[in-house]
Amino acid sequence: MDALVWLEGTAFSTWMRESGPAFFSTLVFHSVAMGFVVGVHVATNFRILGLAAGVRLSLMRRFFPVLWAGLVVVSLSGVLLLIAYPAKALTNPVFYAKLVSAGAALLITRSLLKGVLGDRSFDSGPLPGKARLMAVLSLLLWAGVVTSGRLLAYTHNMLMASDPF
Amino acid sequence: MELLLDFSRTTGIYDFMHTAWGWPVIETLHFLGLSLLIGTVGLFDLRMMGLARGVSMKALHGLVPWGVAGYALNVTTGVMFVTSDPGQYLFNPAFQTKLALMGIAGINVLIFYRFVFGSVRRADADARAPRVAKVAAAISLTCWIGVIVCGRLITYYRPPYHWCFWC
Repeated sequence: MDALVWLEGTAFSTWMRESGPAFFSTLVFHSVAMGFVVGVHVATNFRILGLAAGVRLSLMRRFFPVLWAGLVVVSLSGVLLLIAYPAKALTNPVFYAKLVSAGAALLITRSLLKGVLGDRSFDSGPLPGKARLMAVLSLLLWAGVVTSGRLLAYTHNMLMASDPF
Repeated sequence: MELLLDFSRTTGIYDFMHTAWGWPVIETLHFLGLSLLIGTVGLFDLRMMGLARGVSMKALHGLVPWGVAGYALNVTTGVMFVTSDPGQYLFNPAFQTKLALMGIAGINVLIFYRFVFGSVRRADADARAPRVAKVAAAISLTCWIGVIVCGRLITYYRPPYHWCFWC
């Protein structure tokens, strides 16, 4: 908790909190990038589930640079938001639920990249049940990330460690 | 404004939105709707703009109905926000800009399907989109990103402390 009080007291954290433009532009980057991260996953998972079947599956990877760029922006902006209000997130179980969901979802993405997305023999035709199951799981996990992200604004136990009540 | 509030109150939306979970739940659905839109319409736009050549534009367009579903979800949830607290939206420059961008995107959609989509649908998987399609795609993507930016900024501009077009 002392570390959180220290972090909140740094000039940078204070500036992130108190400068409206700094805080809100970070929120904007976080939201837009999250839209693309989830969006690429939506499209890829829908394709695995059999929608837009005319798209050669392995070519969905050509959209992934957007996903990686989005992940970089989401992570950087997420760290900045965390620096602005460290206690708000770190004392809230929902924050850890968000991180765990995102981590699990990305593990599935990695597994799909090594599996059906990386194998041209799956470019057309129906996919193995396991891949489809992973696609459904991925969609649910991303919905969980979005839900917990949104709930962070409503479920925090404290805003600042230096002023817990 | 009274009209919007009356609608919200008589339909029960107002009471629901002002429960502890009303606003966050509807916000979550609103974000899921925008993710559907970006993942379908947004990627289709990116393909027309030149990314992911080899992906058949005709086939990729098969995802667009899901984007329309996301749009419908967001219009519905959006109406729930606006009618439950109209003062925070109608006089809010971020919301006004958001509506304007939605209008531009809407006109762009009409022009695209009337004049451009036919040639896009006939194009080979490896083909570049026609120049006019690239322009329409860039307008679309810019508008939708702008809509998200403005949506996020609605909570930054708190009326009545900010200007608006008619107050």
